[in-house]
Amino acid sequence: MDERWRLSRRQILKGMAAAGALTTAELAWWDEPLIAPRRAWGAQPVRFQFSVPEPKRTALVESLAQRFNQSQKDFEVKVEFVPQAQARQKLITSIAAGTPPDVAQVWDNWVGEFDGMNAVEDLTPKVRDWSGYKDVLPLAWETVTVKKRILSFPWVVTNDGVYWRTDRAKEYGAKPPKDDWSFDDFLAYAKTMTKPDKNQYGFGMRGQGTWAVLYATEFMYANGAQVLGRDGKVAINSKEAAEALDWYLDLFRKHKVCPPSVPTDGWRGIVEGFGRGVTNSYIHNSGSSEEQKDFVKPENFATVPLPFGPAKKRSSFYFSETLTPFKAGKAREGGFKFMAWAMEPEPHFMYSKTLGLLPARKTVAERPEFTRDPALAGFIKSFPFSIVSPYLAHAGWGGKLDSEGVPLFQQALVGRLTAREFLDKFAEVLSKNMS
Amino acid sequence: MAREATLARPLARPLLTRRAREVLTGYLYLLPVVIALGATVVVPIVRAIQMSLYRNVLIKPQEYGFIGLGNYARLLDDDVFWLSLWNSFYWVFGSVSLQFLGGFVAALLLHQSFQGRAAVRTLTLLPWIIPGVVVALIWEYLYQPNYGALNDLLARAGLMTDKVAWLSNPSLAMPAVIATNVWRGVPFFAIMLLAGLQAIADELYEAARVDGAGVLERFWHITLPMLRPIIVVATATRIIWTFNYADLIFVMTSGGPANATQITSTYTLLQAYSNLDFGYAATLSVVLLLIMLAFTLLYLRVTRGVEPVA
Amino acid sequence: MRSRGGLDTAERVLGGPVLWAGLAALTAFALAPFVWVLLASFKTRAELYATPLVWLPTSLSLANYVEAWTSKLTPFSRFFANSLWVSSVTMVATTAISVLAGYALARFRFAGRQTVMLVFLATQMFPAVLLIAPLLSQWHALGLIDTYQALIYSNFSFTVPFTVWMLVGYFESIPRELEESALMDGCGRFGALCRVVLPLAAPGVAATAIFAFVSSWSELLFAITFTSQTEMRTLSAGLLFMVGQYEIQWGQLSAGVIISTLPVAVLFTVLQRHLIRGLTAGALKG
Repeated sequence: MDERWRLSRRQILKGMAAAGALTTAELAWWDEPLIAPRRAWGAQPVRFQFSVPEPKRTALVESLAQRFNQSQKDFEVKVEFVPQAQARQKLITSIAAGTPPDVAQVWDNWVGEFDGMNAVEDLTPKVRDWSGYKDVLPLAWETVTVKKRILSFPWVVTNDGVYWRTDRAKEYGAKPPKDDWSFDDFLAYAKTMTKPDKNQYGFGMRGQGTWAVLYATEFMYANGAQVLGRDGKVAINSKEAAEALDWYLDLFRKHKVCPPSVPTDGWRGIVEGFGRGVTNSYIHNSGSSEEQKDFVKPENFATVPLPFGPAKKRSSFYFSETLTPFKAGKAREGGFKFMAWAMEPEPHFMYSKTLGLLPARKTVAERPEFTRDPALAGFIKSFPFSIVSPYLAHAGWGGKLDSEGVPLFQQALVGRLTAREFLDKFAEVLSKNMS
Repeated sequence: MAREATLARPLARPLLTRRAREVLTGYLYLLPVVIALGATVVVPIVRAIQMSLYRNVLIKPQEYGFIGLGNYARLLDDDVFWLSLWNSFYWVFGSVSLQFLGGFVAALLLHQSFQGRAAVRTLTLLPWIIPGVVVALIWEYLYQPNYGALNDLLARAGLMTDKVAWLSNPSLAMPAVIATNVWRGVPFFAIMLLAGLQAIADELYEAARVDGAGVLERFWHITLPMLRPIIVVATATRIIWTFNYADLIFVMTSGGPANATQITSTYTLLQAYSNLDFGYAATLSVVLLLIMLAFTLLYLRVTRGVEPVA
Repeated sequence: MRSRGGLDTAERVLGGPVLWAGLAALTAFALAPFVWVLLASFKTRAELYATPLVWLPTSLSLANYVEAWTSKLTPFSRFFANSLWVSSVTMVATTAISVLAGYALARFRFAGRQTVMLVFLATQMFPAVLLIAPLLSQWHALGLIDTYQALIYSNFSFTVPFTVWMLVGYFESIPRELEESALMDGCGRFGALCRVVLPLAAPGVAATAIFAFVSSWSELLFAITFTSQTEMRTLSAGLLFMVGQYEIQWGQLSAGVIISTLPVAVLFTVLQRHLIRGLTAGALKG
C-alpha cells in the first residue's frame, strides 16, 4: 500500500464528509487508522475479497481492515477489491483453481453454491463459542445455514421496502403511503404520481437481474402464493400467484405507471431513476438509502413496508451480506479473527450506519440511529413479516434465477408470455434444478 | 516460375546444400509464428474441442466428467440456442446488407473530386476504427430513454409522443443494435469499395461516354462488374466478422431483453461468464467455428470463380 | 481528370446538389454521435440530467476529463497507460513475428505452403469467444491472470494471422532481383531482409503494425476475462466496468469515451493514406 493511495483514500473520506455523507464524528473514526498506520512485520497476511457495488465503500473497507490490523499483531488483512459484476466469477474460478481468498464478502445466495463445490467449512461449533452468537438475529443465522450447518457470518442484513417521495406526494395531492397500505393504495399512489409530461413515473419497477423476479415474488406472497408447497414441490404456478403477478405486471403493461425502460432496468436503473426524479417510488433494500439522501435529500423521501395483498398477507425477503471463509484459504485462523472483529459492536455499527445497511446484531440494530431514521423506517417495520428468501431453498436455483428466470420474466413484462405461462415455465425451471 | 535460373552457382560444396540451408532458414523464420499461434490459437482450440466433450460446470466440480457428445445433444434441445442462431442470421443479414448499401453510397460520394475531400474522407471513416465498447456506449447514450438525444430529437420533430426505450423493447432492441453496427461498419465498405472504384481506369468510362452511355448505364455495365470481386471479398469478410462479433451486443443489451438480441456468440459468453458452464460454452463455440468453416469453404469456392474477373 | 465538357443533365444534378447533400448527410451520420458525446463530456451534472434536454454545455469545462483522468476508482490515466503498453508491445512483437513469417512464406519454398496460407486465412475467421474459456484456464495454470503478458499473448491470436497474411502479399510484390544482388554481395538472408526488403515494404509493414495497434486498443473480451484488478484494466475494460458498477456518470463516461477515441483517431488521421492502401491491398488482390 503506497503512500499516495493512502492519501487519496483520505481524500475520498474527506470528500464524503464534505458531501454530507459522513458526519465529523464518523469521519474521525474512519480516518483514525490512516493517521498512524502500523507497520506490521511478520504478521500473517489474510486475503479478504470485497466486491464493490459503489465507490465509497472502498475507502471504508480499507480503513476497517487497517483498524483490525492495528488491533492485533499476528495478522494483516489485505483487501482485494473486485467489481461486483465479476465477484462471483472470480471467486468460483479461484476456488476451482485452489486459490480462493481467506475470507470474502458475498451475498448469502451464493454460499449454497460454494457449499456445493465443497469450498466452505462448517463454522457451527466455532460460531457457537463466539461471544456475539446470541446477539445476532436468528433469522440472520438462518440465511447462512445450509443443510443445518452455519457456513458464514451474516454481516449486514437486508429486506425490501418501498421508497417514496414525500415532497411530490404533497405537491400532487397523492394519499401518502401508510405502513398498512394495500395493493389498491399502491396503484392509486403510482397513478397520481405519474406525470408523463414532466417525464415522471409513479413506480420504478425492476426488470433486470435476480431481484426483478424476487420483487414480483413478494407481491405473489402477498396474495398467499408460495414458491414451495407443503409437499416440498414447486408451487409457484398457483392461481394466487398468477393473479398477483398479473396485477403487478399491469403496473407496467396496462396502467403505464412505470418508465418504458423497465425491461432493462437493473439495480442501477431503479436507484438512479428515483435519484434523478424520474420515478416517484421503487422497491429496494436499505442499501440505497444513503445514496438517496445525497440525491433526493433526506427530507424529500421516506420508506414504508410493501403493501398488503388481497389475501391480507405480505412478506419481505430477507438477505444477508456475509463474511464467508474458504476451506482452501491459507490463513483460516486470521480469517476467523477478522470476521469476529468485524462483527464487534463498534466496527459493525460504523460499517452499517455509514452505508445505510441494517446490522445483523440486535443490540446494534436497536440504536436510535437506525430506529429513528425515516429513510430506514420501512425496513425496520418490515422485520416482523420478513422471511428468508424462498429461493435459498435449493443451491441450484441461485444461478438459474438469473440466467433463465429473468429472461422469462422479461417476456412476461413485454406481453410475450402471460403471467400464467411465465409461472408454468418458471416452475419447470425450478423443478428441474432442485438439489 | 523461372527464378531458379538467376540463382548464383555455389563455388564450393558446403556442409549442407544451399537448398537444405534455405529450407532450414525458412523453418527458423517460421518458428516464432508457430509458437505464438500454437499457444494462443491451436492449443486453445484443441482444448475447446476437448472441453466440449466434458461436463464442466465450475460450480459443480463433483459432476465433472467425460460425457461424449452429451453437450451437443443438449444443444439440439436448447430452444435458446436455436433462437440465438436465428437472431445471428437476422443480425448478420441486417448489419451487412445495410452496411453494404451505406458503404456503396459513401464510396460513390467520396470518389468524386471536391474541395476538402481528404478531410471528409478521414472524418467519415472514424466510426470504423474506434473501439467497440466506445461505439456501444455512445449509442447506448443516444438511445437512453430519458437523457438520450434520439428521443429528444424525435419529440422535437413531433414524431414521437411517448418516450421510447429503444433497448428495452424486444421488438426494437435488435433493429437498434443493428443500426449501431451499421454506423460502425459503413466505413469499412466505403474504404473497400472506394479502393475498388479508384482501380477502375477512367478510359473505360470515357469510352462508354463516347458511345453515349448515360450515368446509370455506365454504373450498371462498368462500375458494378468491375467491383464484383471486391464486393464478394469484402462482404464475405464482413459476414464472418459480424457473425463472430459479440462486443457490441454484449455491452449494449447482454442479449436481452428476453433474449431478443441473443446471438450465438453472446449466448456463448453468457454460458461462460454467468453460468460458468465451460463445457457447454465450449460446445457452442465449436459449433460457431464449424459454421464459420463451412462458410469459409463456400466463400473460397465462390472467390475462385471470381478471380479471372480481377 | 475527366473532361468537364459535355456533361449530361443527370451528371450535372448528381455532381452538384445531390453530391453536396449526400456528402453533408454522410458527414452528419458519421459525426453526429461523436459531437453528442463530445458535448456531453463538457456538461455539468445538472445539464446532463435536465428535463427538457440541454444540448449545449454552458461552458467548456474540463472537469469531467480531470475527474476521469485522476479518479481513484476508475483511473483513466492508468487505463490509458495500460492500453498504450499492451497495444504497443503487441504491435512490436506482432510485427517482428509476422515479418519473419511473411518473408519466409513469400521467399522460401515449402511443402504445403498453400495449406499454411489457408490456415492463416482461416484463423482470421475464428470467433474470439472460442478462445476465452481455454485461454482463461491456460493463463490461470501459468499464473498469468492480471498480467500484461496474458493480454499481449492473447492478442496475438487475432493480430498475427492477419498481419502475416498481409505481409506475404507485400513481400511477394517486391521484385526478387533486388534482394538477389544483395545476397550475392554476401549478405545473409537476414541482411537482405533488413537492408533491401524491409525499406521497400515499409508502408505495408507500417500499415499492418498500426492495424495490430488499433485492434489491440479496441480489444474487450480478453481484457475483461483475464484481468480483475482495477490497475490492470485497459481502456475498453475500464469503460465497461464504469457502466456496470457504479451510477452511470455520463459526463465522466463521455470524457472517457473521448480519451479512448483520441489516440486511434489521431493515428488514423495522420496515417490514413498508408493505412487504407495497406488494408485494401489484400482485398483487391482477391
